[in-house]
Amino acid sequence: MKLRAFVAAALVALAAPTSALAHAVLLERVPTYGAQLATAPRSVSLQFDQTVDAFPTSIDVRSASGRVMTAGPTSTQDHSREVVVPLRRLPKGAYTVRWHVTSNEGHVVSGVYTFGVRVKPPPPTEAYGAGGPTKFEYVVRWGYFVGLALLVGGLAFRLLVLRGRTTPALERRFYWVVGVGVVGSIELGIVGFVLRAADAFQLPLGQLVYGDLSPLARGTRFGEAFIAMTLGFAVVAAFLFLAWLLERPVFLWPAFVLGLVLCSGLSLSSHSAVEANSSWRSELADYVHLVAACFWVGGLVMLAFVVWPTAPGLRREAFHRFSQLAAVLVGAMVLAGAYLAYERLPAVSDLWQARYGQVLLIKSSLVLLALSWGALHHFVVAPALERGRGVGSLAVSRSLRGESGVAIAILLVVAVLVDANPPAKPAPRPTQAVVTPK
Amino acid sequence: MEPPAEVVHWLFGVGFVFLSLCLLAEAIVGREVWRRRAWRAYLWPGIAFLMGVLMWPVMVFYTSSAIHMLAHSTWAQVMMLVGGAQLGLVRGKLHNPLWELTLPLALLVSGLAFLIHEQNPWLFSRSAFLHHALGWTMIAGTVITLGRAVQPRSTAFNAGFAMIMVATATLLFCDRNLAPIFGHLSPLAGGR
Repeated sequence: MKLRAFVAAALVALAAPTSALAHAVLLERVPTYGAQLATAPRSVSLQFDQTVDAFPTSIDVRSASGRVMTAGPTSTQDHSREVVVPLRRLPKGAYTVRWHVTSNEGHVVSGVYTFGVRVKPPPPTEAYGAGGPTKFEYVVRWGYFVGLALLVGGLAFRLLVLRGRTTPALERRFYWVVGVGVVGSIELGIVGFVLRAADAFQLPLGQLVYGDLSPLARGTRFGEAFIAMTLGFAVVAAFLFLAWLLERPVFLWPAFVLGLVLCSGLSLSSHSAVEANSSWRSELADYVHLVAACFWVGGLVMLAFVVWPTAPGLRREAFHRFSQLAAVLVGAMVLAGAYLAYERLPAVSDLWQARYGQVLLIKSSLVLLALSWGALHHFVVAPALERGRGVGSLAVSRSLRGESGVAIAILLVVAVLVDANPPAKPAPRPTQAVVTPK
Repeated sequence: MEPPAEVVHWLFGVGFVFLSLCLLAEAIVGREVWRRRAWRAYLWPGIAFLMGVLMWPVMVFYTSSAIHMLAHSTWAQVMMLVGGAQLGLVRGKLHNPLWELTLPLALLVSGLAFLIHEQNPWLFSRSAFLHHALGWTMIAGTVITLGRAVQPRSTAFNAGFAMIMVATATLLFCDRNLAPIFGHLSPLAGGR
C-alpha cells in the first residue's frame, strides 16, 4: 500500500508542471561575427530562443582602442527575446562586442565577437580586452607539444627506426607512450581551447560554461585548427587502438601519416600563417621545424624510456639508426629555425631587446646544449656501441634520459615563444622625390 | 549548417538499438550460445567504440555553449573507453577483470554529464525531460553494471544492462528540439 502511494505521488510530481526555468541560447547576432561591413550599423542586436533579462550594460561595444561606442542603455524587444543597444556613428575600424544576459534560471549566458566597418576585424581571441595567455596556458601548451612529440615521434621511431624489430615488452611500452601522446593531445587541446575562450570572454571558468563558443570555433584559424585536430586525433586514436588490438602494425602507418598532416594545423594557425608578412615559405618552414622537433624529442624518449629498459638486444641497432636520423632532423630543424628567426626579427638587436627575441635566445641556448649532448652521443657513444662497448652501461642510459629531459624543457620555452609576438617590421620609407629647382 | 540536434540524437538512437539488440540476444540465449561464432563477441563493444569515435564531430560542431561541448567530449571518451576495454578483454589483450569496471564508470560519468549539462527542469520541454530521464537511467545502469562486473554470467544483470540500452535508445528517439512533455511546454521554451 505504501509502495503504491509512493509511486502515485512520484508520478503526480513528475506530471505536474513546475515553474519553468530556462537556459537561453543565442540564435542570431546583427551584425554577425567576423562581418566586414560597408556601412556602420546603428545598433547591435542579439536574438535568443527564450526570454532573457538584460541590464543597461548587457551589451558592451568597444573600438580597437577601447572607446565605448554604445549610445545608450541596452533594452529588450520581442517579448524579451531580443536584446538591442544603439550605437554611435562608428568610424572605419574594428569593434569588439561583449554581451552578458541572465537566463530565467539565473545563469549568466555570455559571448564575445568582433566585426569591422570597412576593415577586416581581428579574431575574437584578439578582441579588445583579451589579456593574452596566462602561465597556466603555457603549461597546457607545453603538455600539448609533449603529447604531440610522443605521438608523432614515437610512431616515427617505431616505423622508421625499429622497422618491425621489436619485443613484446617493448611493444607494450610503445603503445603506452603513443597512447599517452594521443590522449594528451586531445585532452590538452580541449583545455587549451577553453582557456583561450576564457581569455577572449574575460570571464572566470565558472561563468564560461554557458558561453557561446561558436565565434571562436568557426571564426578563427585557431578554432578551425582545434576542430580539425580534435577530429583527426580521435581517428588517430582509433587506428592506434586497432593496431594494438589486432596486432597489425600496418594500422600504425595511417596513424603516422594522419599525425603528420595534423601537425600542419599548428603551423597554419601560428604566427607563420597569420602575420602580415607571412608566406607559404614561412608556413612550410614552421611545419618542417615542428615535425623535425617532434621526431627528435619523441625518438629520444622512445630510445631512453622504451628501447633501453625493455629490449637490450635492440639497443645498439636502434641507437645507431636513430643517431643517423637525428643528424638529418637536427639539420632540418636548425635551417628552418634560422629562416624563421630571420623572417621574424627585423634587427639583430631584437634578440636582446624584444621579448620574442629574448625567449628565442633562451630557446637557442637550450638547443645548443641539447645539440652538444647529441653530438657526444653521435660521435663518441655510437662508435663505442658499434665496437660492442657500453651496451649495458648505466651511464649511457642516464645520458639518454638527460638529453630527453633537455629536449622536453625546450618544448616549454617553445610554448612561451609561440604566444610572444615578434617585433613589428619597420614600415618602408617613402621614396623621396628628387626636386629639380626650376 | 549542422543538422538539427534532434536528428543527431536519432542517429545515436540507431546505434543504441543495434547495441541493445546484441546485448538482449546474448542475455536471452546465454553467453556460451551467443559466442559460438567468435565474431559476435566483438559486436557490442565494436559498436560502442565506433559510436565514441562518431561523437567527436558532434563535440566540435555543436559549440553553442562550453558545457555542451564538454559533455559531448565526455561521452565520446567514455564510449571509446568502454568499447576499447571490452574489445581488449574479448581479444585476450587485457586480463585484469578490473577493466570490467570501465562500464559502470562510463555509465556514471555519462549520467552525471547528462544531468549537469541540462540546465532546464524536468517539465520545461520534452528535450529537457528526456535529458533528465537519460541521466537517471544511466545512473541506474551504473548499479546494474556493477552487479554485472561481479557476476558476469548473471542473466538478470545482463538483461538489466540490455534494458538500460533499450531505454536509452527509446529516449533518444523520443527527442524533439521543441515539443511538449505530458502536454506541457514552458512558455519560455521559445522557438521561432
